[in-house]
Amino acid sequence: MGAITIQELTKSYGETQVLKGIDLAINDGEFLILVGPSGCGKSTLMNCIAGLEDITSGELFIGDDNVTNVNPKDRDIAMVFQSYALYPTMTVERNIRFGLEMRKYPKAEIDSTVKDVAKLLQIEHLLDRKPSQLSGGQRQRVAMGRALARSPRVFLFDEPLSNLDAKLRVEMRTEIKKLHKRLGTTIVYVTHDQVEAMTLADRIAVMKDGVVQQFGTPYEIYNDPANRFVADFMGSPAMNFIECTVKDGNVIIESGGQHHEVKVPSTQALKSSGLDTVVLGLRPEMITEPKPHSDSGYISQMSLNVLVTEPTGPDTLAFGEWNGQEVQARLSPEVGVKAETEGKVEIQVDTGKAVLFDPKTGARI
Amino acid sequence: MSSMNLRLGRTLIYTLLIGFALIYLAPLYVMLVTSLKDIEEIRSGNLIALPENINFSAWVKAWNSACTGSECEGLAPYFWNSVRIVIPAVLISTIIGACNGYVLAQWQFKGSNMLFGALLFGCFIPFQVILLPMAKLLAWLGLANTVVGLVGVHVVYGITFTTLFFRNYYVAIPNELVRAARLDGAGFFAIFWRIFLPMSTPIFVVTVIWQFTQIWNDFLFGVVYSGPGTQPITVALNNLVNTSVGGKEYNVDMAAAIIAALPTLLVYLVAGKYFVRGLTAGAVKG
Repeated sequence: MGAITIQELTKSYGETQVLKGIDLAINDGEFLILVGPSGCGKSTLMNCIAGLEDITSGELFIGDDNVTNVNPKDRDIAMVFQSYALYPTMTVERNIRFGLEMRKYPKAEIDSTVKDVAKLLQIEHLLDRKPSQLSGGQRQRVAMGRALARSPRVFLFDEPLSNLDAKLRVEMRTEIKKLHKRLGTTIVYVTHDQVEAMTLADRIAVMKDGVVQQFGTPYEIYNDPANRFVADFMGSPAMNFIECTVKDGNVIIESGGQHHEVKVPSTQALKSSGLDTVVLGLRPEMITEPKPHSDSGYISQMSLNVLVTEPTGPDTLAFGEWNGQEVQARLSPEVGVKAETEGKVEIQVDTGKAVLFDPKTGARI
Repeated sequence: MSSMNLRLGRTLIYTLLIGFALIYLAPLYVMLVTSLKDIEEIRSGNLIALPENINFSAWVKAWNSACTGSECEGLAPYFWNSVRIVIPAVLISTIIGACNGYVLAQWQFKGSNMLFGALLFGCFIPFQVILLPMAKLLAWLGLANTVVGLVGVHVVYGITFTTLFFRNYYVAIPNELVRAARLDGAGFFAIFWRIFLPMSTPIFVVTVIWQFTQIWNDFLFGVVYSGPGTQPITVALNNLVNTSVGGKEYNVDMAAAIIAALPTLLVYLVAGKYFVRGLTAGAVKG
């Protein structure tokens, strides 16, 4: 019903092509996140799905209906905007009713829908207020209420949380996820915040320059990135990228004046690629203080000269150098304090989930 | 020391402000006191002295019996002429301006900026340039010397300004509002009617005041395109002042001038507060 199929969709403004052939298949009831840096075309893609922008070429289906040339109001979708876009002269109640009145729903049905939605979102006490009398979080709720009232096949969220403060954003994030669980309606959600993407999505489409770089579950995107861009964009703190020389299918890491030959999982691929140097991608949590029971078969021990540490609370990030390039390790707070005072720390590197990239193209090996 | 300087500066500023206000208000004062004197007192007395006896006869005469050329009916019939011209001209030009502004600000189409530029150009066309061609056109349409013709001229001339006002007001309203309404199922006119018009009060006030003042005070179009029975009050005032039966009746002239100016003054007093507010307000907060 609410499945979305996008086939070879392109969008150009004059000479500039902003979407360069997008293919996505979104299942009914799925929570899809479009994520990418600003200017990657994610909002344009969403507007194309909504019908607010014309598609240059390609096709778009919602359910079994080809909606490529269908008027936005007839696509049976609802959208929550970044600025909320509440009608400023109408009360909250009228804002929610507006879409139903425009579609000529019977009055009794509108009344009961408004009641249900207001109850669901806990905005019953706000119904008589004007948008200007609401706080940011309340406006956000009303905007969602307006979208919910129509019970459409698909919800579109355009960076809905980016105008909220940090604490409220986390609360609303959870609430949106609960709402999705409860309603089971397909959601397409645009954000530039990779944390939001990881926490909310069933599947994520990472975009750059109008091209989908990778389309997969948060787990796949995080652990099995398709290229260096995806690996770099997803995850905070960001992945370490160390350029290393290759020797017999292993990589060489120089740390604290000593050279270590480190085993990586993709030995065969590395050998057959014939590269002399390679970019080793390691997430900070793969570089830690030695842990007693870890034995993935890919553990190396070495020392790291620590230049600076950044305590985050649950753990401390330590910055050192490998092969003359900056590397971040994730230490426990206790070890972090020691590393800061001594300027040096013994670490273990678990390359079991390390990923390798071609230094020139950034492609995954 | 600095507080001394501050006080000195303040005193200087207020002195200047009061001085200029007096200079600006002096003519109005002279008009008002002169209109309340009888003609003997004006001849013998002082220009700025208060009247000895307050006398409204000049006002009555200016309103219904002073001669404007060969007719001697006062300003009253022309006052109503002006009303019949101003009200439709203001309403029509304002409504068209609102529609134009809405389209130009929120429904950009190919060449819409060009069109807006061309419309803006209309603001700078001097009245005199269009006098003859417009006279020809009105004659050709059979609207010469009619109220309808005069209303038409004022509407056409006013649209450039009203469009500019509304366009600049609506352009500050986020486009997401239109998008949200489109997804809610509202069409072009429903969005205009239900969403844009309700938040347009300030700009409506500005436009109405502006248009009312312009059209009521217009003399050139009035004198050129009106006929004997359709002359607006400004033209009648001119005729009244230039018609002298016996001596010059300064008190009647002054009373007539004030009567002619009263409606614009009144509009300004009633809605002036919104005028300033509307000019400075960018968009409606929401």
